[in-house]
Amino acid sequence: MKRILLFCIPALVFVTSCKSLDDYDNVNPKAATTVPGVSLVSNAQRVLVNTINTPDYNINPFRFYVQYWAATTYPDESQFVIETRSINRFFWDPLYRDVLSDLNEGKKVITADPLTTISDPVTKEKVRNNQLAAVEVLEVYTWSVLVNTFGDIPYTEALDPENVLPVFDDDAAIYNDLVVRLDKAIGMFDPTAAGLGTGDLYYNGNVASWVKFANSLKLRLGITLADVDAAKAKTMVEAAAPKAFTSNADNAKLTYLTALPNRNQLYESLVQSGRTDFVGASTLIDQLVVTNDPRLNEYFKPVGTTSTYKGGAAGSPNSYDNYSAPGAMLESPTLPGMLLTYSEVEFILAEAVERGFAVGGTAMEHYNKGVTASIMEWGGTEAEATTYLAQSTMAYITASGTYKQKIGNQKWIALYGQPTQAWTEWRRLDAPNLVKPAAAISAIPLRLPYPTTEANLNVTNYKAAAAAIGGDVVTTKIFWDKL
Amino acid sequence: MRKILFLSLFLLSGLLQEVMAQNRAITGRVTDAANNEGLPGVTVLVKGTQVGTATDATGNYSINVPEGGTTLVFSFVGYTTTERAIGNATTLNISLGTDARQLNEVVVTALGVERTRNSLPYAATQVEGADITKARNPNFINSLSGKVAGVNIKQNNTLGGSTNVVIRGTKSLYGNNQALFVVDGVPISNANTNTSDQYTGRGGYDYGNVGADVNPDDIASVSVLKGAAATALYGSRAANGVIMITTKKGRKGAVNVTLNTGATMGFADKSTFLKYQDQYGAGYGQYYGPDPENDPKYFNERDMNGDGVVDLVVPFTEDASYGAAFDPSLMVYQWNSLDPTSPFYRQARPWVAAENDPSYFLKNAAGFNNNITIDGGNENGTFKLGYTNTHDTGILPNSEINKNMVNFAGSLNLTPKLTTSASINFTKNDGLGRYGTGYDSWNPMQQFRQWFQTNVDIKEQEDAYFRNRQNITWNPRSATNLAPIYSDNPYWVRYENYENDERYHYFGNIMATYKFTDWFDIMGRVTLDSYDELQEERNAIGSTGTAFYSRFNRTAREANYDLIANFNKNITEDFTFRGLVGSNFRRHQINSIFAQTNGGLVVPRIYSLSNSVNNLNPPTEVDQRYGVDGYFASATFGFKEMVFLDITGRRDKSSTLPTGNNVYYYPSVATGFVFSELLKDTPWLSYGKARLNYAEVGNDAPVYSIFNVYGKQDQEINSSTRPTVGGFGSIPLNSLPNTRNNPNLKPERTKSFEGGIEMAFMDSRFGFDATYYKSISVDQIIPIQVSTTSGYGYTYVNSGEVENKGFEVTAFVTPVKTDNFSWTLNANWTRNRNKVLSLAEGTENLVLSTYQGGVSSNATVGQPFGTIRGASFRRYNNNGEKLIDSDPESARYGLYQMGPSTTVIADPNPDWVGGLSNTISYKGVSLYFLVDVRQGGQLFNLDTYYGFGTGLYPETAGLNDLGNPSRNPVVENADGTYAATSGGVIFSGVKADGTPNDIRVANTEGIYGYGQPQQMNVFDASFVKLREASLTYSLPASLITRIKPIKGIDLSFTGRNLWIIKKHVPYADPEDNLGTGGNGNYGMGYMSGSYPTTRNIGFNLRFRF
Repeated sequence: MKRILLFCIPALVFVTSCKSLDDYDNVNPKAATTVPGVSLVSNAQRVLVNTINTPDYNINPFRFYVQYWAATTYPDESQFVIETRSINRFFWDPLYRDVLSDLNEGKKVITADPLTTISDPVTKEKVRNNQLAAVEVLEVYTWSVLVNTFGDIPYTEALDPENVLPVFDDDAAIYNDLVVRLDKAIGMFDPTAAGLGTGDLYYNGNVASWVKFANSLKLRLGITLADVDAAKAKTMVEAAAPKAFTSNADNAKLTYLTALPNRNQLYESLVQSGRTDFVGASTLIDQLVVTNDPRLNEYFKPVGTTSTYKGGAAGSPNSYDNYSAPGAMLESPTLPGMLLTYSEVEFILAEAVERGFAVGGTAMEHYNKGVTASIMEWGGTEAEATTYLAQSTMAYITASGTYKQKIGNQKWIALYGQPTQAWTEWRRLDAPNLVKPAAAISAIPLRLPYPTTEANLNVTNYKAAAAAIGGDVVTTKIFWDKL
Repeated sequence: MRKILFLSLFLLSGLLQEVMAQNRAITGRVTDAANNEGLPGVTVLVKGTQVGTATDATGNYSINVPEGGTTLVFSFVGYTTTERAIGNATTLNISLGTDARQLNEVVVTALGVERTRNSLPYAATQVEGADITKARNPNFINSLSGKVAGVNIKQNNTLGGSTNVVIRGTKSLYGNNQALFVVDGVPISNANTNTSDQYTGRGGYDYGNVGADVNPDDIASVSVLKGAAATALYGSRAANGVIMITTKKGRKGAVNVTLNTGATMGFADKSTFLKYQDQYGAGYGQYYGPDPENDPKYFNERDMNGDGVVDLVVPFTEDASYGAAFDPSLMVYQWNSLDPTSPFYRQARPWVAAENDPSYFLKNAAGFNNNITIDGGNENGTFKLGYTNTHDTGILPNSEINKNMVNFAGSLNLTPKLTTSASINFTKNDGLGRYGTGYDSWNPMQQFRQWFQTNVDIKEQEDAYFRNRQNITWNPRSATNLAPIYSDNPYWVRYENYENDERYHYFGNIMATYKFTDWFDIMGRVTLDSYDELQEERNAIGSTGTAFYSRFNRTAREANYDLIANFNKNITEDFTFRGLVGSNFRRHQINSIFAQTNGGLVVPRIYSLSNSVNNLNPPTEVDQRYGVDGYFASATFGFKEMVFLDITGRRDKSSTLPTGNNVYYYPSVATGFVFSELLKDTPWLSYGKARLNYAEVGNDAPVYSIFNVYGKQDQEINSSTRPTVGGFGSIPLNSLPNTRNNPNLKPERTKSFEGGIEMAFMDSRFGFDATYYKSISVDQIIPIQVSTTSGYGYTYVNSGEVENKGFEVTAFVTPVKTDNFSWTLNANWTRNRNKVLSLAEGTENLVLSTYQGGVSSNATVGQPFGTIRGASFRRYNNNGEKLIDSDPESARYGLYQMGPSTTVIADPNPDWVGGLSNTISYKGVSLYFLVDVRQGGQLFNLDTYYGFGTGLYPETAGLNDLGNPSRNPVVENADGTYAATSGGVIFSGVKADGTPNDIRVANTEGIYGYGQPQQMNVFDASFVKLREASLTYSLPASLITRIKPIKGIDLSFTGRNLWIIKKHVPYADPEDNLGTGGNGNYGMGYMSGSYPTTRNIGFNLRFRF
């Protein structure tokens, strides 16, 4: 110390200090070493909705895949070019590294949280269970998105920083485990106690809403399994149906804010960027026009100063001026980002009836409720829905096609705000009948290839997974995509 | 350096004078042949006697020649010893020329220890200050290019941009590779604060490197310490070599005043800017018109002037030139027909190529440089005061850099035993309108080289902006919305979306030396390097993207506290010893804050954080404090001036490493053998020395990389895709960081071996110095990319080895040397071979950065560092001709088959680099020029990848093999052959069956660029450049003496980057690939939004009073 002091004296001239090395703790003073567990969950909630619904074609190209939209000047992504901009990586990374990793960390922190503000030990455990169950539901949701997109993925060995070479698990096996986890989480909820509190960006800590969301998710997972494991699907759907969403008020969603950077990603791409990358695709617009769909003027804008609606060609470059751009509602910064909606629940129930599951009601009733919920979700009225459904081409009984086509077609229209789920439903129900664009470099992808980073960083396990699923290509089907 | 010696020579001359006899008196003046300045301290001896004297501070001498003395011998270190017959003269003036080999020159080595070149057991190159300022480069670091073997100087073409100095190859995969800069014992920062987006080509400004704040006019010499043995005393910061700068010192005697004034003019080198095809205009193809699906046209159609008739409208939203063929008889509406203030408002104009293409945008650059230095001193001390002002404007409108530099140095002998000195340098560096770089809208080269319409007249863009100072772009959103869609008006970008920055930089030291005996002294020194900078960036309301204002304030301080004991004692007459023991405490502190408006600006042209539309997001704060305590010792033994042995050791304790695991030792051993001492009777051999050494040095762990903390969403390495998010409204958001820290890190170590031989022949008329070196850098601190399925994107590990080995050769020859005329050639040649030997276990490849255009920079086991990967061609039988996709069903029919997207398509490392300088002197005139060569190395060119794709370049238009315009449609005959009138092109290659390709593809958007494998736009980055030239004329003394009080006038004409003699990259300067900024390992071999070379010519006048 003395020695250091000796040299510090002349240093005074420079008004600097010469601290002893022992006084440096080497910890960034600007970063936190402990944080509330809920703040990690909040971040995961935000990134999850952003990732699955963003129109940013570097992350999420699915609006092109299901032909909601077409590109203007740069059509590569709508022609299914994936690797050039590493789209698959930018979809994969946030879900693993931000959503699942933060949820996982949040779970650890919540488990260790003494919850000192709650005195009663029984209540304390109820709150903790409510928080952990909500995290579990979010994890199940996220894992299902990853499986639906890629097939086999690292699951049992994932999220372990000590193991950077996790094996890929079989997609069907992951689904089975998700069902078990989801049931366990549903059992953990206790609506009499508090949940995540104000840090819960979806339900503001309302546990009863989480129970409905969890059951609605169970419906979705169940119906997804219907073609591969009808018995299991039936059990799940029948168990969850009475406890799922019953109105649009129940929808699982993130309501965005007016200020950056928490605006809806649609706003960021369509308005804030100042770019004009997208127009509506004729595939969707033609149908909305022909069927007098009341959602048309919400989904799209008229061409230029005209009052007509016209879609561009999916997979081709299109002149922005000549076609309908995405609608004004999408340009609201606070438009909620959806995870699961009541209309989807009703469509699932309609399909369940057709499949002979005991969920009550008729397919038509559920179909009508689904369509109505969707129209109302997009600012329409019940009367508009009634008029729309009264058309013979739209009425469930008289509309053409199989139940899968009828329900699939309406689901496709209703999921306009949820491109990731829309793509899943199109693959599962094979409706509507989308035609591969002429200039596309492949068929319409049935999955995304694994990111190149995985192929480079986890070579052996990647190769095993690619072989197991029948090739790491866009035409390989996910396990539930049997037909 | 030689001026420092004169003190000791004074003492020597005193001894000599005592023994001289009293006879005939001769007086005279000894001057430096290079500049006619008086040379102090020159030994003047009467040949064959012990009678001698030394020149005084102005070079004058007076000597009494004893009976029989006929010749005077003038000698001085670094100059050729010259003899002159006395005859009957009483006055003998003489000018001494420098000794080309300078073997006895004093070289500044680690910690400022001065040693004769003779005794150095390792390679070190010294460049004199005069050579640094020859071409008047404002950044002295650039002046080292081509002059020093083993040093790779990478500079770019932006005004005031940064320069990389990497010595003997890239050693650290992720750590710093830039050489350490030391000015008079003060380690100074050569950091740059460029963002990772900047050095990976995504965009941003190049704010230059802090080391450029050293005043070139103040430099006496620069020593480059290359190998680990030379730098080992610096321990854990020594792995990258050291650039030792010694500044000029005050001279004793009368006050000297030197005044220097110069001006340069700069011109864009047209061979480094693109040429545009002049046959086709805006559009991506035939995609437009009222019914593009059924009846696609090249133009849009709309009634533009309200006459009820549909007009042809250029598809001005499209940033490509694959549109309609120019046809002066076709009247069309362009972008300025929408602008009510334009003379062409609502007017159709002939469809022709622009009269003024973007080369009109480039201006002539100008530079002014003024310097005054005053120095003097007496027996008790010396002083020096200097002031320099440089003002440079660039080739882009509204760009300038101003530098004001003041330095003061003084020494005072308090007692005969206690010497004190202090120096302070102050630099103020102001930038305005630095060039935007890479792939963003602030870089006009992005639109000019990649996305443009050849019909756009840049002068009209200039007029459109200056009429109302609005963003009237050639690329509006629609016929009714003049806001830009992709590209801003380039003048708007320069005059509205400019940056400005300033840096106040202080560095200096206070030092005291107490001399206990003539062989032992202790020196104490405190040094400080400190700077504060502010960078402000803006995007005006009305530009593409959200309007914003951002500011970045940064303060950096480094303090060093040194205590060194020096021993210098000869054990016997033949056996010399020199040693030192010392300590060095180093402390760093870096603070910065970055804040940006959120969601736009409220009031136009007000750039303040309070003008934000939304509440600000939390600013990004950095607070880094760390330090190293070092103890070191060195011993040098000499035997008969023939054999030298150096041993050094250093122990470092670092605060950035985990406690208990933070002490490291760095040893070195080096020997030199002057074998010519044994061959003294070999007349043709003037000098010969062999050297051998081994050392281990280090590279610290980055601060705060040990313990894990939570982050707000942090920046992904090399990417800005994860902005900092404070919260969701009032709800806090936290996240695990992207990079996982490691509590077991240790420093990187470089183990280095070097052997060399130096020889000079025929009275040192020619000679060479050859060195072989090999270094292995182990325990690399790698934020290794891991599968994100582990929960993190990266994790820090100590793993991996990088090898560098190579040869450095310098050679000199003086073919002609007479009293009035001399010609000297200096050459240097470096060949470095870099290889990644291993990475972390199980990792074969690390992606260092990913770039726009689907390519990446990589470190791959078994490959040199920094290879570029992207899609390659596929080849017949894997190594034959390029394969063409011959499947008629394929979307790529007739184009090259795409190979895997992760193939190595370019190795940016040169095979060798070299420089050749020529100096020809005749009387007072000296002509100098330097040729700088890089051979080999490749780069991927995003400018052509996009620009060839969008049809800007002449290569994309013109006639095909049939003599028809290649953009005409492909016309097939009924039998499948092509009509003689067909357009389209046939790419050279073979079809799947190996037969020559005969598939004619339409010449449409993309086929020369982004529609093909990236490998198609890889180019050889070799160049031969005439880097510097100067013609100096010193006015004869006879003329000068008449204009008192002036002692000398030198006039020189200078040139920089005069001529790229040879290159292979079309329309660009191969040196201008990113590759600068950061820690020296990014951007190599990737070119994007490249600026043309600026040719500089100028004159310089120097007065000495």
